Amino acid sequence: MIDGLSYGLMIVGLIFWFWGTLPLVGDRSVLFKLHSLSVSDTLGSMSMIAGLLLKIPREWPLLVLALISLAIWNTVLGYVLAYCSYRGEGEDDE
Amino acid sequence: MNGIIIAMLLALLIPIYEAYRDSHIWQKMLAFASIATKTSMMILVVSVLRDDWMIGVVGVLILSVGNAALMLLAHVIKRSDEAGLYEP
Amino acid sequence: MMNDLWNEENLYIVAIAVLLPLTAGLVIVQVNPYYALVMRGILGAVAALVYALFGAADVALTEALVGTMLSITLYAIAVRSSLIMRLGIIEPDLPPEDLLQTLRQPLRPYHLRLELVPYPDQESLQAALEGKEVHGICFSQAAVKTPAPQYEIQTRVPRLYQILSGHLPLEKMAILNPAPPLTPANSL
Repeated sequence: MIDGLSYGLMIVGLIFWFWGTLPLVGDRSVLFKLHSLSVSDTLGSMSMIAGLLLKIPREWPLLVLALISLAIWNTVLGYVLAYCSYRGEGEDDE
Repeated sequence: MNGIIIAMLLALLIPIYEAYRDSHIWQKMLAFASIATKTSMMILVVSVLRDDWMIGVVGVLILSVGNAALMLLAHVIKRSDEAGLYEP
Repeated sequence: MMNDLWNEENLYIVAIAVLLPLTAGLVIVQVNPYYALVMRGILGAVAALVYALFGAADVALTEALVGTMLSITLYAIAVRSSLIMRLGIIEPDLPPEDLLQTLRQPLRPYHLRLELVPYPDQESLQAALEGKEVHGICFSQAAVKTPAPQYEIQTRVPRLYQILSGHLPLEKMAILNPAPPLTPANSL
């Protein structure tokens, strides 16, 4: 039961990953890709970590730390990348 | 469990291909951000798979530190984008 | 160890290890130094994954901290401050934007950036060129007050003179050599 739930969470995370990463190959703007990537990467990775947490509850301090750092850092990183890439958009030569 | 790692590897190949293909610096940075998250997640999954606490600690550290490196690099690239223009 | 590497259970280790030479090859084919830095970061992330996979947790941590974070930041700063042409100008008398564009165009294949350094007057501009604070200076000739001001560019770096001289329209500006005559031995 628990095992199936953890596998299910990991597969949901994988679906999130593919859903967010596949638009990266298209020719959309940086901000569009950043949006789908940050949402799907953060949510997918968090659901994967939740799946791992169900699998091995003994290592919960480590996995909770990973969960928290993932949520905070990926949000901040998305903001920083958007802020940095916004000015450079118009004046790039390629 | 092995199937999940193979699927993660396939998901990792997409941003690598994107970083090779796209010749726009911010698109490459996006691919780098995606790869940094994905590799550290793979380290975490492998650590749970092998029940190896030490690798897990390294995975969590890389998860947070890799992002810090990305932000530093993003700021340096932003500064050199701007310095081509003169602002009085 | 080598034998159980090749059975089906551990096939994913081989598949992931192949990524390392793949990304290393991608670093080599990059021409633009900034692109190469980003690819080096990707290589560092993949290398940390491979090291952790083979059980070398300390090596993986070192690769992530030093190989990726520290070396990329240092290299980015080094590339940023070395691939640059510093052009001294006089502050109120800015050269027009189209002149700067014609200057940037020949510099682009060499991944050189153009940085403008303002100075208050002609004397300090010349002093900066002679004191090697800037690579070149740009000023309008005060004597010629004809319809459009004539801009003149002087550089003290022979290589920059070679790069720029083929591309600039000579009726609009003149590139002069610094006071000592230009010889190959006189570089920098």
